[in-house]
Amino acid sequence: MHVILTLVRKDIANFLRNRAAVSLTFLVPIALIYIFGWVFGLNQTDSGPSGIPLGVVNASTNPGAAKLVDALRAESAFKVITTYDLPHHATRPLTEADLRPAIRDNQFRFAVVIPEDVVQRDAIGLHLKILSDPRNEIESQTVSGLLQKVIFSNVPELLGQSLQARAQAFLGNTRFTQFNRSLAETIAHNFGGDPAEIQRTIESGSLGLDQATKPAADPSLRRLDNTPAAPAPTPAAGTAATPAKPETKSDYFSKLVKIDQEQVVGKDVKSPMATRLVGGWAIMFLLFAISGSSAAYFDEKNTGLFQRLLSAPVTRAQLLWSRFFYGILLGLVQLITLFLAGRLMYGIDVFGHFGNLLVVCAAAAAACTSFGMFIAAVSPNAQAANGLSTFLVMVMSATGGAWFPLSLMPEFMQRIGKFTVVYWSMEGFAAVLWAGRTFTELLPILGVLAGITTVVMAISIWQLNRKRMFE
Amino acid sequence: MLSLRSVTKRYGALTALDDVSLDIAPGECFGLLGPNGAGKSTLMSLASGLRSPDAGTLTIAGAPVSPADPSSRTALGLVPQSIALYEELSAEQNLRVFGELYGLHGAKLRARIDEDLEAVQLADRRHDQVKHFSGGMQRRLNLIAALLHRPRLLLCDEPTVGVDPQSRNAIFDYLERLNRGGLTIIYSTHYMEEATRLCSRIAIIDHGRILALGTLDELLTRLPFEEEIGFPATPATDALAAQLGGDGTIVTQEGRHRFQPRADFRLSAFYARAEALGLPPRLFTAARPTLEAVFLHLTGRTLRE
Repeated sequence: MHVILTLVRKDIANFLRNRAAVSLTFLVPIALIYIFGWVFGLNQTDSGPSGIPLGVVNASTNPGAAKLVDALRAESAFKVITTYDLPHHATRPLTEADLRPAIRDNQFRFAVVIPEDVVQRDAIGLHLKILSDPRNEIESQTVSGLLQKVIFSNVPELLGQSLQARAQAFLGNTRFTQFNRSLAETIAHNFGGDPAEIQRTIESGSLGLDQATKPAADPSLRRLDNTPAAPAPTPAAGTAATPAKPETKSDYFSKLVKIDQEQVVGKDVKSPMATRLVGGWAIMFLLFAISGSSAAYFDEKNTGLFQRLLSAPVTRAQLLWSRFFYGILLGLVQLITLFLAGRLMYGIDVFGHFGNLLVVCAAAAAACTSFGMFIAAVSPNAQAANGLSTFLVMVMSATGGAWFPLSLMPEFMQRIGKFTVVYWSMEGFAAVLWAGRTFTELLPILGVLAGITTVVMAISIWQLNRKRMFE
Repeated sequence: MLSLRSVTKRYGALTALDDVSLDIAPGECFGLLGPNGAGKSTLMSLASGLRSPDAGTLTIAGAPVSPADPSSRTALGLVPQSIALYEELSAEQNLRVFGELYGLHGAKLRARIDEDLEAVQLADRRHDQVKHFSGGMQRRLNLIAALLHRPRLLLCDEPTVGVDPQSRNAIFDYLERLNRGGLTIIYSTHYMEEATRLCSRIAIIDHGRILALGTLDELLTRLPFEEEIGFPATPATDALAAQLGGDGTIVTQEGRHRFQPRADFRLSAFYARAEALGLPPRLFTAARPTLEAVFLHLTGRTLRE
């Protein structure tokens, strides 16, 4: 044991002296977790994109069109541009003719034109023109969704006006006025109110929809991961069980379809996305760190270090065990450090399940260490080991669910993913941090990780001996 | 100290050592001289217990050497051919690791580290990372890393490869001092000058077999001549060299011809031919032959071929 401890201490000292390795193991993943946290809205209460330049040309005199422009201005995702810059700091209103050159010049990538005939007499609905440069598909889809949200949430009267205009054209002025009057009198008779005022409201196209939709600022539309920023209104979810106020907090469509949601697992988890994000990046960088050390096998062989170590009273078994324990130790420290960083940044509940988390991290680290040995065993040299490990780590991370949920991939890839260390490590992290499983409940996952470790280690040791790595 | 009995080692179809028997006495500085691929490193790896022979036995001080028995290796120290050190660690950290592997600790280990660093003039660089050392400094550290546990047998596998002359001399001086102190040294090299300077006995090895074994004088007696004649290789002397082909061996290296005469060849005949070709006597120098000549005589090729 003394020899193994000496060798492990040597590996630790060697690692700590290598600043690049330390950075890659700890600082780089923390920085990436932080950056991706921003992308997925984990750092903000009001998450999502902001300040996307949006050219807006309003050619309509309809008051509803002006309200639409105001609504777009109020949307923090957009930086609305309605003027064209002239020399000497002068400006003039933006015109449709300005938009295309401006988009081509990348002054902005999206523009909305509200034409004079925004409310058409010969068709139902609004007439809007959206110009875009969809160079970034994700941004393009996000902007498209936000525009639809703003339009449907803030200017229902334009839709009402469209319906009114279409009805007027279809019925003729006289019958149209009679229809509206009859409708207003029926409403006044049944619900109270002044029939003339109600008729004016109907003819303005308002139809009362704006009351139902105006505050509909559903944050889910602005999130890339479709995770609600606030807890979903579920009866079983503690504070989230507070009844919603449909009059002010739901959108138009939520009034048409009522859905009761119940979250079965992970109700108490503050940041489910963060759990997945940190776990995924942590296991990927652990694989990189461990596979990086697989190249060290070749360095130690080529420089005669194995020769020197094995000419001392050191056996091959001690050499391999020291590598194994060092890998587990490095992995354990790295994973726990990254989860602690996740706790600081996103409030992941690390200490509530610390014991089980340690066990899963140790099992994951052992499996990753065996992967590192496997890389060294099957590669002919250090360059090949680096190339192979980079390829396998990327593939395993993608198919194992480190980057995005497995359900986004084809079924055959989901099946492949289940053969990876990444998948089972992620399952372990989720079982502890998301589902709050007990140690006994974790045993199947731990068993799989231990099985992977044993099989891969056995193959690796056989192959390392076969290729005379230690001679 | 080290004894090999009919040792054979094969790598697939290649026989790296072929029925080698050898006895190296305690306190001896023994040279293994041969070209690359001759079997020197294989012999070293068998002696250091890294590999097992396919046939035959190896013993150190009477105890068999085996990869499976780490205790059999406590009596030896190995200086590998390459710089077998952890570059990221300091000189002292490296020595501490290797010392601890041999069971050294605390004050004893510290004292040994101090003493050995001092001996190779690296004491003032003890805290520097090895990667910042010059090649010569790394070689010196490489040497003392094998000596901390005070082995009785030191295996040096071409320990001066790529070393500047100053460091090479420092290493030789240190090895000679150690040898005078009673340390048995096996020194593997393909530089005959090193073997000549350091070793009391030399084995010439090629294709896995020991071709000759003895002191320098004993090896030189195997040659059929006592002196060889050297002269510059020029168009004028090439004609002489061509004429001498039947009377001995002409070796041409680095712009010089060396004539190694047959046993019955008379040197007066040589000078007569030179005079006939109008070559002045000052071009020619007679010298005692070297191990290179012995190797050439035994194998028909030079050490560096």
